[in-house]
Amino acid sequence: MLMKKKKDRGADIEAGSMADITFLLLLFFLVTTTIDVDTGIGMTLPEYQEDVEVAPISKDRMAAIMVNEAGQVLLGGEIIAIPQIKDNLKERIKSKLDLPANKKLIVSIKAERTTNYNMYIQTLDQVKGAYQEMKDELSRGIYGKEYRELSPDEQGPIKDKVRETISIAEPEKVGN
Amino acid sequence: MKFEKKRSQSSTGISTASLPDIIFMLLLFFMVATTMREQEVFVKFSLPEAEAIQKIENKRLVSYVWIGDNEKIQVNDAIVQIKDIQSIMYKKRQEVPNVIVSLRADKNSSMGILMDIQQELRKAYCRRINYSAMVKS
Repeated sequence: MLMKKKKDRGADIEAGSMADITFLLLLFFLVTTTIDVDTGIGMTLPEYQEDVEVAPISKDRMAAIMVNEAGQVLLGGEIIAIPQIKDNLKERIKSKLDLPANKKLIVSIKAERTTNYNMYIQTLDQVKGAYQEMKDELSRGIYGKEYRELSPDEQGPIKDKVRETISIAEPEKVGN
Repeated sequence: MKFEKKRSQSSTGISTASLPDIIFMLLLFFMVATTMREQEVFVKFSLPEAEAIQKIENKRLVSYVWIGDNEKIQVNDAIVQIKDIQSIMYKKRQEVPNVIVSLRADKNSSMGILMDIQQELRKAYCRRINYSAMVKS
């Protein structure tokens, strides 16, 4: 008898507070979420070697950038204003577009230990920008779209053609 | 006449029965999109600004190195010395083989400290790095 009575009452769970509970959870995740994505300039470091043999590179392949401690930037031994690096390099990348991979431009960026980090990033930014604009230009010519809107398959040939080579020069030995 | 009659009969108030479902959907979105703020940053830094920057697509690959304005270096949740970086990063690389090391350096720091860190990273075979920078406004 007693059992029957219980059954009659129905086995409902009170769902009225469900919304409140989920609201609390929602608030928790809202607060802990970090939406901001990390942005920056990606690079790949060279492999570590004890003794570095310097392979000779022909001079017209090389764009040597030096950022000295006074914040001056030298491109191939001459002082250049940072905003001009992009156009200068773009010309040189463009002139080597149709050459085989082992003849394309190499950009070498060298800094001194006392160089300001911001100056270095601004310089690197210009170099990256030159490559990016070159890729965009090519992809607009072929597909009529920006480079980053292309599919990976379409990006491949352009990437090979431009071939971004940025070398971070070995730091000089300290001391002696 | 007809209009008035209809109005008086209908009950006012929005049904809230589907409210939990809607909130659940929102909740699920945030649960999926969340990456926990797992580290507390002890060093003070302001990032440089740049134009030609990329987003890092996969946040789970990223491991951070902070370089503060007074040459303090933080990895994980502790201030470390330069010579410790190699072993820490080597361990990290074993956990995540294609780790990207994001260098969040103060813009007024000098290149010397960055060069030292880069040398350590190279020794630890963590060769993918990222100079963290903000979008130039």
